[in-house]
Amino acid sequence: MLKTFIQLLGDDAPVLHRYLIMTLVYGVLCGLTIITLMPVFNSLLAEDLRTAWQWLAVLLVGVLLCWALRRTVEKAGIRVGIAVLQRGRHRLGDHVAQLPMGWFNAHNTARLSHVTSQGMMALAQLPAHVFTPVITGVVTPVVVVAALFTLNIHMGLIALLTLPVLFAVFVLTARLGQHADERFNSDTAHTSRRMVEFAQAQSVLRAFNGEDGGTRFLEQAITRQQQSARHLIHVSAMSVVFNTWAVQAAFAALLIAAALWLGDLTGSQLPAGSVVAVMLALLLVSRFVDPLLEVASYSEVLRNARSQLAVVRELFAVQPLPQPRNPQAPSDGAVELRDVSLRYETDQPDVLHKVSLQIAPGSMTALVGASGSGKTTLVRLIARFFDASQGSVLVGGVDVRQMSSGQLAAQISQIFQDAYLFQGSIADNIRIGKADATDAEVMEAARQAGVVEIIERLPQGLDTPVGEGGTRLSGGERQRISIARALIKDAPILLVDEATAALDAENQAAIAEALARLRGKRTLIVIAHQLSTVAMADQIVVLDNGQVSEHGSPAQLSEQPGLYAHFLAQRRAAKGWRIAGEPASEGSV
Amino acid sequence: MSVNEAKATASGTVSQVLQPIRGRLIGAGTLAALGSMLTMVPLAGIAHIAQLALSQGDAVGNWAQIGGQVWQVLGVSLGCLFLGMILISLGEMIAHLADNRITGHLRLAITRRLAKVPLGWFTSRASGEVKQAMQEDINTLHSLTAHFYTTLGRTVGAALIAVLYLFAMDWRMAIVSLLPFPLFFLFVARATKASSANMQAFGAGMARINNAVVEFVNGIPVVKAFGVEGKAHGSYREAVDAFAAAFTDFTRPLVSAMANAHALITPVAVLGIVLAFGTLFVSLGWITPLQILPFALVAPGMCAPLLLMSYITHDLHNATGAAQRVHTLLHTPVLENLAGTAPLLAQNAQVRVEHLSYSYDGETRVLDDVSFTLKPGTVTAIVGASGAGKSTLARLLLRFFDPSAGRITLGGVDLRQLDTAQLYRHIGFVLQEVRLIHASLRDNIALGRPGASQEEIEAAARTANIHQRILALPRGYDSVIGEDAQLSGGELQRVSIARAVLLDPPILVLDEATAAADAQNEVQIQHALSRFARGRTLLVIAHRLDTVMHADQIILIDNGSIREQGNHAQLLARNGQYARLWALGGYQQAKEKAQSPC
Repeated sequence: MLKTFIQLLGDDAPVLHRYLIMTLVYGVLCGLTIITLMPVFNSLLAEDLRTAWQWLAVLLVGVLLCWALRRTVEKAGIRVGIAVLQRGRHRLGDHVAQLPMGWFNAHNTARLSHVTSQGMMALAQLPAHVFTPVITGVVTPVVVVAALFTLNIHMGLIALLTLPVLFAVFVLTARLGQHADERFNSDTAHTSRRMVEFAQAQSVLRAFNGEDGGTRFLEQAITRQQQSARHLIHVSAMSVVFNTWAVQAAFAALLIAAALWLGDLTGSQLPAGSVVAVMLALLLVSRFVDPLLEVASYSEVLRNARSQLAVVRELFAVQPLPQPRNPQAPSDGAVELRDVSLRYETDQPDVLHKVSLQIAPGSMTALVGASGSGKTTLVRLIARFFDASQGSVLVGGVDVRQMSSGQLAAQISQIFQDAYLFQGSIADNIRIGKADATDAEVMEAARQAGVVEIIERLPQGLDTPVGEGGTRLSGGERQRISIARALIKDAPILLVDEATAALDAENQAAIAEALARLRGKRTLIVIAHQLSTVAMADQIVVLDNGQVSEHGSPAQLSEQPGLYAHFLAQRRAAKGWRIAGEPASEGSV
Repeated sequence: MSVNEAKATASGTVSQVLQPIRGRLIGAGTLAALGSMLTMVPLAGIAHIAQLALSQGDAVGNWAQIGGQVWQVLGVSLGCLFLGMILISLGEMIAHLADNRITGHLRLAITRRLAKVPLGWFTSRASGEVKQAMQEDINTLHSLTAHFYTTLGRTVGAALIAVLYLFAMDWRMAIVSLLPFPLFFLFVARATKASSANMQAFGAGMARINNAVVEFVNGIPVVKAFGVEGKAHGSYREAVDAFAAAFTDFTRPLVSAMANAHALITPVAVLGIVLAFGTLFVSLGWITPLQILPFALVAPGMCAPLLLMSYITHDLHNATGAAQRVHTLLHTPVLENLAGTAPLLAQNAQVRVEHLSYSYDGETRVLDDVSFTLKPGTVTAIVGASGAGKSTLARLLLRFFDPSAGRITLGGVDLRQLDTAQLYRHIGFVLQEVRLIHASLRDNIALGRPGASQEEIEAAARTANIHQRILALPRGYDSVIGEDAQLSGGELQRVSIARAVLLDPPILVLDEATAAADAQNEVQIQHALSRFARGRTLLVIAHRLDTVMHADQIILIDNGSIREQGNHAQLLARNGQYARLWALGGYQQAKEKAQSPC
């Protein structure tokens, strides 16, 4: 647990160390101060007021020191919290910024966003609110045990033995909860997915709410979550009960030991001073048990903290793509794949298998193939969303692994499906592609991407704010702005996924126009959808099941029977579709 | 609204939300209070034993004399201790089970409520927000339901019994040894007051950092792709630093006061006070040394419950906020149905759109006074530029929203008079956006008719051109989407068509672009749609004019109003906007090709 905390804090780890040491010292000091109640009581009962006052003075000094130290500990705890909120968030941000683009899927981004905002807030609270009571709750009793030994060796031994036993019980009950915890977490995650689905698929759920309404799946998930929550309650309530009962059992044992001791004393003829020792021992016992009870009550909180830290640890465990020590600059817009294979998991089949491909600078390549054939993966490898399992990807004659991420990014512009816009104006978002673009350049890119039609409708034009994530615009409009952003970027290579980026006719037109204009000037690699796009290409690469099955110019390929010829036939058929009317155009697959 | 009023409504909301489990919570709190009273007994027992043993004075003790009494006291103490533990455990259990019950109840209630709100409610929110409210906000209630009442019970119980016991022992000592506890509340109140001034700034900082995190996390792929990593990162770093500064400002006045408050109610400090005054009182001859013992035993024991109490109360603010959000959600306005029961509709009912207007924001009209009729068995196409209002029209027809003015009737009955099941039995749709449920393919196709037979499901899948593909999957119709059924976009689209086919609605709303979702599957989807559409009343949202050139009626919408209306030949003859679009689209060529179907 502490290891993850230290990893999170990085250079600020000393803040945590200082805090921990201070808390330990504070715990010990509390214990020592409590112990001084022995001589105070002793002298009081012996009616030696002078000594009592002297020891009381010592005790009060101890109390004041504890007070002062407590204040320091609290402040140190807050400092750790602030370090988590500042340094921890920076470190997490720096780390994830290095992760490959392929890592940022919906699941991971949702998790990351939760950890960085709420998760960090919860972790920041831990030192002041949880660590301080738990640490002092463990340290103080240890000091008290030492004092107990000086009074009675049996009671000292019982108390001393209690500590490891309690520790074992605490650990055991924490384990007990773990399984139920995992089941609950997985059911909760499932329900959360159902909730998101419920919101996203609401129109469908409603339209198809036959006999049992559109809520069936979500209701089932909620019921299951409640069931495993109830199971968890039983287990974790059991563990809290076990913990407190264990502490109370120790208390009972110590009380009985004290009574037996008292019996021994009064049975044998010893002075009353020894009876006082029993009383003091009982007083110490109450100071021994009390903090341990407090620690036991924190078990649930500690378990939550552990699972939060586990998520942080997992995030830090994701490896960034290795960066070269001596980066080499790419020379031109050429792209080459040499025997590239890729699999996402070692136990899964290759998504791409021994693909070799040469793309000359300034040429246009159309990628064609069924969905799942590996087109998207191939394009993403060029942009280094992830690294190939085997073989190498070269851009401008240099292996992408030998370039800095900045060098590679400068080489490539991309038009993909995901069109995330930043808060700010439309112009700001277009300038992401080229920070120092003039207003004329921005306007030109806007025109080329069909953004002009959008801004004509808006009173503020290019300066219209897009809202968080671009939510003030429609999906097609966001997409067009992202096209403008890609077009304004002056990179020698342009990657386009026509199938996913062309949401509507306007986007389609913008992409087609861009391709026509840039042909011969840039290296164009297009996952092609339109017949016209394919026809423009210098070379066509047909992918089938992760392998290149056909390869050549449009003229060459259209003459030979094969996948490409089939593709052409399908596209032509699609173009002639009439949704209703002439029955002749129907039903002949 | 004054602060007091706001507080009153806040607590009112909380009690409304917790209404179903109020009795259980009170019961749990009472059990915890009784239990914690009982667990204090051993401390009094110890004091009593000490009294017994030491009252023997210097005289040689006679164990036979007091031994019996000591064991008796011990027995009672331990008995009370364990009984108290049982009561506390029971109270905790009841509270947790009540929490379990209320969270399940609230989640189901919200689910059922949201199933009836206008669909527009969902489109204006991120799905994550819905999840946030249903999952995290309700979880936040946990500290209120599962912990607050029992903790309150334990604290009050412990405090009550301690105060009574200590006052019974000696009132002067009782007053001084209990002094730290009211002082603690004073410190806390002062701290809260000091921080409330910064609360707003803190809340704003919180919103800003959450915003920055969302933007940072979602924007990373973009900034990486554009090699401007400094940008989003920079504003994220700034937000982090600003928040850390705001947090420091927020806590600074708090820290000192809270540290004092916490230091005050540590067992050490309480013991110090008890012993200092005890010694003083002994010196004054007010009490005997032995009388200090109960105070040294009991008073420090009150620290832990009080500290826990203040921690839980701190948590309570979040829970109150969450309860309010949950409450609001439970009272989201639902689509109101007009009074009166709807008559049974004929299968070939006709749809009439009458003077329909719609505005999303109450200002700009997306649709303005639109009227037309869908005659049974005919095909109507809606054409126009994107943003002209085509999809809004389709959504209104499916009652995703209700019109701002005018109405839509089905067989003469206002859509608002129909219950949703009845409506969707008559009007089906296939839209561009595919939404499938994380469930088996069988369940997905049979979503609208869970009782459909395998034959019916397969027949629907055949119509949608997806039957063979499903059979090719390892588990066939039992394959679960996203798990062992990795289908392409177009294939998913065909599953969604099969789903609509199974409902067999006489009227169909169709987005022509549906077919274009997936290049490879386009032809297959087109065939599926054509087969499905045959013999039905059809409303097509068209993007390409040639696709719908054979429609019985083509409606051109521009800026929310009907500009032109007629069939293809009529509209061309008018030589208006449609004719212009037709010429621009370069469809002549396509038309020629279409003469020779493949």
